[in-house]
Amino acid sequence: MNAVNLRKPLILTAVASALVGSLVISSVSASAASDPGVSDSEIVLGMQLPQTGPASPGYNKVDDAARAYFDYVNSKGGVNGRNIKLVVKDDAYKAGLTISTASKLINEDKIFAFFGSVGTQTHVSIIKDINRRKIPDTFVNSGFSGFYTTPKKYPTTFGGLGTYTVEAKILGKYLKEKYADKKIGILYQSDDFGRNALAGFTTAGLKFEARKTSASFIAGTQGSIGLASQLSQLKANGVDIVIIAAVSSATAVAYATAAAIGYKPSKWAVISVGADATTFQTILGSKGVPAATSAAMLAGTISASHAPAPGDATDEYVAAFKKINDDFNKGVDKRWDNNVLQGMNIAYLATEALLGVGKDLTRAKLISYLESNGSKLSSAAFAPLGYSKSTHEGFTGFWIGEYDATTLLSPVDGKRVVYTTDSGSGAVTVSNYKRPAIAADALPKVA
Amino acid sequence: MRFQRLREDKMKNINLKKLIATISASALISTGLVVAVAAPAHAEAPVCVTSDQTNVITCDGKLSNGAAYKTMVPSDYNGTFYFWQHGVRPSYPYPTYTPPAGVEQMAPTSVNHKIDTTKSMLSLGYGLASYDCQTNGLHGWNTSDCVAMLNELVTITKARISIKKTIVYGASMAGAILSQYIEKYPSAADAVGILAGVTPSIYNELKSGCDMLYIFSVFFDPTIKGCTVMGTKGLPGHYAVLGDFAKVGALLTQWSKDYGSLPIEYPAALKPYGIPQRSALLLAGLIAGIPTKSAHMDGISTNATLIPEQSINATVAVLENTQELLGTAYFGGQGVSEIVGAGFYDNTKTDFASLLSDADLGRFNLGLSGDDAIGAMLATLAAYPRITGDPAAMAKIAELDKSKFDTTKPVVLLSNEADRLVLPGNTPLYLSKARAVYDARLAAWESKYNAASASAKPALMKSKPVWNTMAMYAMTPETYTKFTSTGAPDFTAKISPSGVGHESFTKAQLMLWVRLLASSAKLGKLPSQSVIDAMKAATPYINTDLDYQPNELKYQD
Repeated sequence: MNAVNLRKPLILTAVASALVGSLVISSVSASAASDPGVSDSEIVLGMQLPQTGPASPGYNKVDDAARAYFDYVNSKGGVNGRNIKLVVKDDAYKAGLTISTASKLINEDKIFAFFGSVGTQTHVSIIKDINRRKIPDTFVNSGFSGFYTTPKKYPTTFGGLGTYTVEAKILGKYLKEKYADKKIGILYQSDDFGRNALAGFTTAGLKFEARKTSASFIAGTQGSIGLASQLSQLKANGVDIVIIAAVSSATAVAYATAAAIGYKPSKWAVISVGADATTFQTILGSKGVPAATSAAMLAGTISASHAPAPGDATDEYVAAFKKINDDFNKGVDKRWDNNVLQGMNIAYLATEALLGVGKDLTRAKLISYLESNGSKLSSAAFAPLGYSKSTHEGFTGFWIGEYDATTLLSPVDGKRVVYTTDSGSGAVTVSNYKRPAIAADALPKVA
Repeated sequence: MRFQRLREDKMKNINLKKLIATISASALISTGLVVAVAAPAHAEAPVCVTSDQTNVITCDGKLSNGAAYKTMVPSDYNGTFYFWQHGVRPSYPYPTYTPPAGVEQMAPTSVNHKIDTTKSMLSLGYGLASYDCQTNGLHGWNTSDCVAMLNELVTITKARISIKKTIVYGASMAGAILSQYIEKYPSAADAVGILAGVTPSIYNELKSGCDMLYIFSVFFDPTIKGCTVMGTKGLPGHYAVLGDFAKVGALLTQWSKDYGSLPIEYPAALKPYGIPQRSALLLAGLIAGIPTKSAHMDGISTNATLIPEQSINATVAVLENTQELLGTAYFGGQGVSEIVGAGFYDNTKTDFASLLSDADLGRFNLGLSGDDAIGAMLATLAAYPRITGDPAAMAKIAELDKSKFDTTKPVVLLSNEADRLVLPGNTPLYLSKARAVYDARLAAWESKYNAASASAKPALMKSKPVWNTMAMYAMTPETYTKFTSTGAPDFTAKISPSGVGHESFTKAQLMLWVRLLASSAKLGKLPSQSVIDAMKAATPYINTDLDYQPNELKYQD
């Protein structure tokens, strides 16, 4: 039995909890649903992400992690008697493939909903079509606020990360206050991701001067033409603190390039999706950089997170998910990291939402449920989802941490403080959200 | 940029000579002049011959204005008769092209696949008719003439041959003709087939073509007149258009050699940005809505050595497609302007930035050379002097080919996913216009039904509106681009087996369309969804996705 075995006494509690909770192994068949992807025995979800290609390192673990959690749920009887099946398509981070694989998920795999698709540039190519078809587009792994802040435009799309704007506002406020005497600059990729983050930092009061303390690059070119000119520009302009708003592969190239040109900013600050330690080290490792060296390069880097650090062994969600990962993840690379944690966490949230809708599961009901109840869903995150009728933003809060020499992100100043804000001009404040405990069986409970 | 590493001497250039020839042979099939139908006269009795080999009876005749027509009836004729409406034809000769005289085709054909379905249709027992929509040797955007001439053909054929079911069908400009025809003569046909068709008005697409030419004049050659060159009648107008098109041809020739790697030259303020011309070409293509897949380019495949970014594939696709779209813009525009007059194009209120979709902006950021370059190009377009149209011509073009889309007869449309000439967005536009009419009818009927007494309701059920329009799309494979040993796109390789080109479908796709029309005519409505699904599933590359929708036209008046 692949049950979570955190502490033996908890097993009984888990069983009892599962029986009284919504996740009941039931002999009562679920009512027949008319939407595609739902039968009496199964719910089919579809995910797109780069499993191959230059953008795949790190992100290509999200699907295996999510599937591991769903398999665990299925081993416990599924959701209202239905197993969750996750169908994954590799789009190699090429939008043309995103379009064709989305069509396959819809027409061949007959998915009920999209779940956890990865990538801003790719998802923007299909979001309009998904919404036109009224297919739920849930827990998208992109922090681009433009997908979520106008539900009238994209009514079926819901975020699975915090928005880049929210994260940048929080990180920007911290940097502005902490390093008021330093010259802060930014390196960002000139796409929706980078622009979104730049807007957040600017809203936080940081000021950047184009072509001096602000440097951009065209997303996708970092691997082929490098980032030497951008980093040389920042170096020449005396930037002490370098913010990076870019994907992991660009972060790794930036660090390597800085080292190569002898640029040693006193601090790096990296938006979370570009700062996963495992991915960072894997990419640099592929370029011949030893793990110890890459760990040393990352040490001292400031970043933010909505969830616990994957290396935080004291966190109950981390412990539970890590156990499920060990037992259920059939992926090629199941090393525990941020990407695995994120995949597990959104799978946990999806399970919770499907439970919440109940047996009479339809696409419209799932969308309605997420809008009305999404902000009440609990997860490993230290901030709630921001879902409402006026916004479909994901996690609304982040804490700020610093990587140590073991690549563990630890709270700055020794204590985790979660800040919250919105994707607009709202103030950054300390969050008073208290994360609910995870059940002993690591399954969500819905009232 | 990595793409700049492409070496001219290492690349297989696009064969522009061939492409220009294609323009002449195909895109220019959108040109011509409109002439008044000659004074009514009596159609001549046709001369008929029975084939010794096939027993097919072929009759050649002339309509009352002298235009040729032809009918073919097989020995096992089953009573279903198809009347073919051809697309736009040029009136004047071009290099490699001579205007056709007489009936050119009897049934759907495919240039890409070298297919003629005449034999196949005759073998199924269908009668065939076709005609040459011309008067005094001239063609052009003569849609209203064609409506009248098609009606004459149907009428005289029905008087001569016993016809149980009548199907009118055609391609390209025929979309604008058949829409009007079935509305003007609602009982003349039992089903309507539109292949790669224009949804009236052609101005929706023409305006995008004019936009593209305007953008070319801004970024590449200020002497390009674009749609402002159109409007002079007859040969002088034809040559004026040809002269302007030659300037665009020179650009295309250059880009086929260097892939647009040289920086934008105009306006001078843009030059310091060093934006490669291909980025402006891509921007123009995306603003105009040109497909980012083409005969050889799938919009996805990359070559790790020389072409690492997928935007390049789409950019070259736009280049490959541009040839013919601009042919439509120039020569279709000239044909239209013969009717509505010069000055039909006006872009004083056009917001070019809004015509670049979020999806394209995100997906092709790299191909467009990034945010700074995009911002600079859009700012240039916003500030550049605009073209002010002639109110009279603008009013006329707004009324061109006016259709109501209210036919109750079954209508079956077939379009390529990446048609480079009549953009695929025409087809969903037809559907949405027809759907709006149907929805209004249904709402009115429901209101009447709900208010009716119980005894009156059964009778009312017979008049319940039926949704009778369907569209199919021929899709491309996911990937099909081939590269040479040097990593350049291989334009000598086989083109996509489906989904590209204009009026280019496989035989199976064309015959699916034909059979669906026959079934619809017989039933008086579309076949059941399960029947349609089964027929589609058996036809390679036909979309099985009921909700599939290609990119919409940028203008949808």
